[in-house]
Amino acid sequence: MTQTEQFVNQLPNDIGGLPADRVVQTDNVLEPWEKRCHALADVLDFHKILSTEEKRRGVESLGSDLVAKLTYYERWIVAFANILFQKQVLYPDELAKKMKEVAARYSVNPTP
Amino acid sequence: MAYASRFLKLGWSKTNPMPTYDPHDSYHHHDPLAHPPAPDAAPPGYYEIMETAIRELLVEKKLIGPGEIRRQIEVLDSRTPALGVKVVARAWFDAAFRSRLLANGRVACEEFGISFYDDTELIVLENTEKVHNLIVCTLCSCYPRPVLGLPPDWYKAKPYRARAIKEPRAVLAEFGTIIPDDVEIRVSDSTSVVRYLVLPRRPEGTEAFTEEQLAALVTRDAMIGVVPVILETGSPL
Amino acid sequence: MSTSNPVLVPSLHIVKAFGDQPSLKAGDPVRVAVRYPVAHYRVPRYVRGKRGVVEAVLKRALVNNEEEGFGRNAGALGYYYRVAIPLTELWPGYSGSPTDGLRIEIFETWLEQD
Repeated sequence: MTQTEQFVNQLPNDIGGLPADRVVQTDNVLEPWEKRCHALADVLDFHKILSTEEKRRGVESLGSDLVAKLTYYERWIVAFANILFQKQVLYPDELAKKMKEVAARYSVNPTP
Repeated sequence: MAYASRFLKLGWSKTNPMPTYDPHDSYHHHDPLAHPPAPDAAPPGYYEIMETAIRELLVEKKLIGPGEIRRQIEVLDSRTPALGVKVVARAWFDAAFRSRLLANGRVACEEFGISFYDDTELIVLENTEKVHNLIVCTLCSCYPRPVLGLPPDWYKAKPYRARAIKEPRAVLAEFGTIIPDDVEIRVSDSTSVVRYLVLPRRPEGTEAFTEEQLAALVTRDAMIGVVPVILETGSPL
Repeated sequence: MSTSNPVLVPSLHIVKAFGDQPSLKAGDPVRVAVRYPVAHYRVPRYVRGKRGVVEAVLKRALVNNEEEGFGRNAGALGYYYRVAIPLTELWPGYSGSPTDGLRIEIFETWLEQD
């Protein structure tokens, strides 16, 4: 195997059998936006705009760096944006303008 | 172990093994989907802004209806382990239902009154004195959401997903569960449209229990297969 | 002279189109293929090349989930098989019971027979 092959043909989520720590039994309560994000995934699936498998593939496509750095639902919403752009359902600039508008309601600067 | 006594103490949530979840919390009273936001609301983060913007654009473009997200949140909120424990209790109580459940989990649950809002299948895995089942999704977080609700963090995190299919006995031991060597462990890894639910063994000493009393014993983790259902001695039952 | 109209006479049995029937059945020994897709797959690396036995056929023919990931949602249906693979087969030196096993659904395109 070449030095970079493993980054191309091994998905970041394909972790079955890898060394790992003890299970830490944390439980979670979803933030409201995370719940809305989950509901959005389901609704997009019902409309056949974005299937569960497309979502999984979209999250994988973020790459191991983003998969490690973003939380579960953060990965989902970024993946949705990417997939919807690919399908030309939304456009990056259109989303950027809308994000700016949403942020302005809260007097928030949309870029972190 | 603490689940059994913890949810016996909580009134309405007697059959909800997730005592941190309260459907009457402020989420319902302050609708986060309404504009303008409540003046004391915490400012949204970057990803929440992205989620809001995507949702509003999709509604503006009439690709999704304006009430669909809210309705789906209600569907998701209605799915908790309280549904799964009723299925388990019914299977323990009614041998004919148990047979139907093991033959086709989804159809039996639908007949029981639990609709499936997606097109997943459900296979119910029966624990016996010879076989102990547990479920995992090594690639992502597939989970029987229509009957159990959303999975716990640990189910989605690396340790469980990486190790459940390699050293299940060690993982079970971390939950306090020791399976004898003469009992076969079966680990089911969900990779397609099938979801799994473990039908735990009914504890001894429950022969006279009502179906409701049986349901009160069952926990979410028992339906994942990482703990057995136990009958705590000295319980108010 | 024939009086029966072949269009109106009902079939006494349905002949499925070639390929509609599952090619494997419960009890068949199988081996998971070894190959390394770029960018997307739904067969984890830890089972590739491993030998097991078909435990069950999923009754509904379905779309290949790896193609679903890129938007396919109909046509070219195939079968998923629930495959039983002993953990001793997956992990050399497995220290649990020799009867411990994995159950995993695998699409027909990834299963081979000797």
